[in-house]
Amino acid sequence: MLAGILSLAGQTPEEKYKQAGELYGSGDYSGAAAIYRKLWEEGYRSEDLLYNTGNAFFKSGDNASAILFYERAKLLAPADEDIDYNLQIARSRITDRFETVPQLFFVRWFDFLALLASTNIWAVAALAMFVASLLLALVFLTKSRARGRLLSFWLSLASLILAILMVSLAVRNNSLVNHNPRAVITCGIVTGRSAPGETGNELFEIHSGTTVTVEQELGSFSEVRLPDGNKGWIGSSCMEKI
Amino acid sequence: MNKMMTAFVFLLAGLAVAAQEVTLTVDAPESAAAGERFRIIYTVNSTDGQFTPPKFDPSFSVQGPQQSTSRNVQWINGDVKTISSTTLIYYVVAGTPGTYTIPAAQFETKKVTVSSQEKQIVITAGASSQASASQQQGQGQVRASGDAPSAGTDVSMKIILGDREVYAGEPVTGTLKLYTRINLSGIQELKFPDFKGFLKEDIETPPLRSLENEVIDGVQYGTGVIQRFVLYPQVSGDLRIEPAEMTVLVQERTGAKDPFFDDPFFDSFFSSVSTVPRKVTTQPLTIRVKPLPEPRPADFHGAVGSFTIESSISGTDARLNDAVTMTVTLKGTGNLSLAGEPVISFPQGIEKYDPKVTVKSTGTASGSKVFEYLLIPRNTGTFEIPPVSYSVFDPGQQKYVTLRAEGFTINVTGTPGEDQGAAPAYTPGEDVKYLGQDIRFIRNGNVRLSKISAPLVSGLYYWLWFALAFFVAAMVLLLRREQIRRNADIAGLRNRKAARNARSRLAKANDLLKSGKKEAVNTEVARALWGYLGDKLRIPQSEITRDKCYSALRDRKTEEEIITELDRILTATEYSQYAPVSEGESPDALCRRAATLIGKLDGVLD
Repeated sequence: MLAGILSLAGQTPEEKYKQAGELYGSGDYSGAAAIYRKLWEEGYRSEDLLYNTGNAFFKSGDNASAILFYERAKLLAPADEDIDYNLQIARSRITDRFETVPQLFFVRWFDFLALLASTNIWAVAALAMFVASLLLALVFLTKSRARGRLLSFWLSLASLILAILMVSLAVRNNSLVNHNPRAVITCGIVTGRSAPGETGNELFEIHSGTTVTVEQELGSFSEVRLPDGNKGWIGSSCMEKI
Repeated sequence: MNKMMTAFVFLLAGLAVAAQEVTLTVDAPESAAAGERFRIIYTVNSTDGQFTPPKFDPSFSVQGPQQSTSRNVQWINGDVKTISSTTLIYYVVAGTPGTYTIPAAQFETKKVTVSSQEKQIVITAGASSQASASQQQGQGQVRASGDAPSAGTDVSMKIILGDREVYAGEPVTGTLKLYTRINLSGIQELKFPDFKGFLKEDIETPPLRSLENEVIDGVQYGTGVIQRFVLYPQVSGDLRIEPAEMTVLVQERTGAKDPFFDDPFFDSFFSSVSTVPRKVTTQPLTIRVKPLPEPRPADFHGAVGSFTIESSISGTDARLNDAVTMTVTLKGTGNLSLAGEPVISFPQGIEKYDPKVTVKSTGTASGSKVFEYLLIPRNTGTFEIPPVSYSVFDPGQQKYVTLRAEGFTINVTGTPGEDQGAAPAYTPGEDVKYLGQDIRFIRNGNVRLSKISAPLVSGLYYWLWFALAFFVAAMVLLLRREQIRRNADIAGLRNRKAARNARSRLAKANDLLKSGKKEAVNTEVARALWGYLGDKLRIPQSEITRDKCYSALRDRKTEEEIITELDRILTATEYSQYAPVSEGESPDALCRRAATLIGKLDGVLD
């Protein structure tokens, strides 16, 4: 496997991607997962790449990493049905079951909207919309004829509101994709304690594959919130952020 | 007379008694197992006296005595001989092993007192519980007799096993065999232990009618097979087989032994023979059962032994909804009765029923097992029944062997709904069958992989663009406002001054008229009008045309008469500019009309 990765040096990322797909097809799932993951670590991003990485990890038996990459893929393609399906299958194979506290519907909708385009597309669109709003405002403020003035006023106001919305979507997208507080447990079993360190009272035990939300970090420990709302401190080395 | 007879007999008896010596003999086994009941028999050839039993060891539990007397009167060559005897039988159970001495017993007649011999008895540690339980049913089995066979008895029973170390599920043959040195008149009850951890299958055994002679260690025994069976170990480990129990009927002399007629012929001839039930048990045995090696193949269904497999089908061309029978036969030696059915993944569209299973035994743990699958094709087409794969564990090779039987291709023809008779005319909808669950496949299409770019929103420059855009817009607005304000000032000034300018031009035209320069008058009137219109309507002089003016005037709701009048005056001025003065309207009148028009327009346009 290591030799396989070394031989890949000098290939374009697309060629590596193709080769990983061939490895996957021939049943070498862990080899494929290694190449996919390497591409991810090099900074390449594509919903298909992340989806395939999740698949390769799932097939090689690493459910936690599969869930991690499906979650990452979902951030790039929130409406992709295949990702949802595979994520649901991977989740059904992990140990922990939670009564999840559902998000408020408008938060869910807003996040979905924010993830429909990348943060920079939202940012550029917001800037363009702002400029349009300014132009319309200039028309309103300089034109003297009554009918055109009224129209330009409303259009300007509407594009200003749109610009504000797009800016907030860009910010939200950035925080979801690049600073997501959620993390997937990668250790087989982790004990959650009431305080950072090994001295706090034991509160719960969670297993690999569970998705938690990181609330705060202190040294090598993180306070996480479980899907059912409970909180506790666990070692940061036992999880990987989405 | 009667009295006399009695007296005579007594006399005779007395003579007889006097004539022979009184003896007291003891008959006891030399050894017995602890907890087993044995007999101590005292025989005295007299009926007349007092018997004093010996002092048995306190660890013995003694029952009895059972007393019986006999009296024989014999006439031999005219002599009358009376033989009388008393037999006392004690049933003794010794609790603890060891060597014991049974002290002498005494018999006291009127004349003499005789003592029996002392007897040594060895109590061995033996099967205790079964033996003590057997007390209720008969006498103990131990009768010491010198060179006894293995169990030290003259009747014994053994379980002979085919193998003592087997794999779980591997069949073990067993034989229950009887050994005897004495006459038996029958077998009463046979009780097998519950073979814990085994599945036992009896093999048909002919009933025991005659014994065969067999010499074991130089001793001749009559032997016979009571029952054959096969054991299938179900669990692994050291499995213990508890003793089997049987009650045999032993022919036994109960009559007295006479010292004078100690002859086998007479002994048996004269003694009364009775049938005594006797309990016989086997030794407990242990079988070591090895577990089947792991991992077991997926298609292993518990069959252990040496097998072959074959399959057949009733026909490969089938009509829709007509049954087809597929038969899988497992043949060989092993635990056939425990071999599970092979798992065949029949194609969808063929309805499968649970197989009919028949086991044919051809001997000890061998035979064949037939699985008959009834298949009903519910769809037309070609269906592939895959080859049957069936794994068995072969104890001989000590590994799993995968057997294969051929698969078949069934061609199903027919029209749904046709010639089905009672079959319903409609086909009920069928839910799609989901066979398993797996993730979806990866995407191998062309992708454009690009490295992530830094998010704009987290950089300051992005936000500066907003500020810049705002600043530019504000500047534009300010400049434009300034320009508008300035323009508005100029226009307003001109507006206000328009009428005054026009009137001063008209006044100048009047002056020119008076001074006789008629050509210049028209020009001055036209200038006055165009100037006025341009200032009032805010149209630069460079762009001004008649049409622009008219439409601007119409926009401001000017009466059509005024516009017509304007048009006439303008036409007149232009006309007179290029034509001789005499032909056109007099400049005088034109001047006046222009002044009137400007007055009217001023009222409208203000």
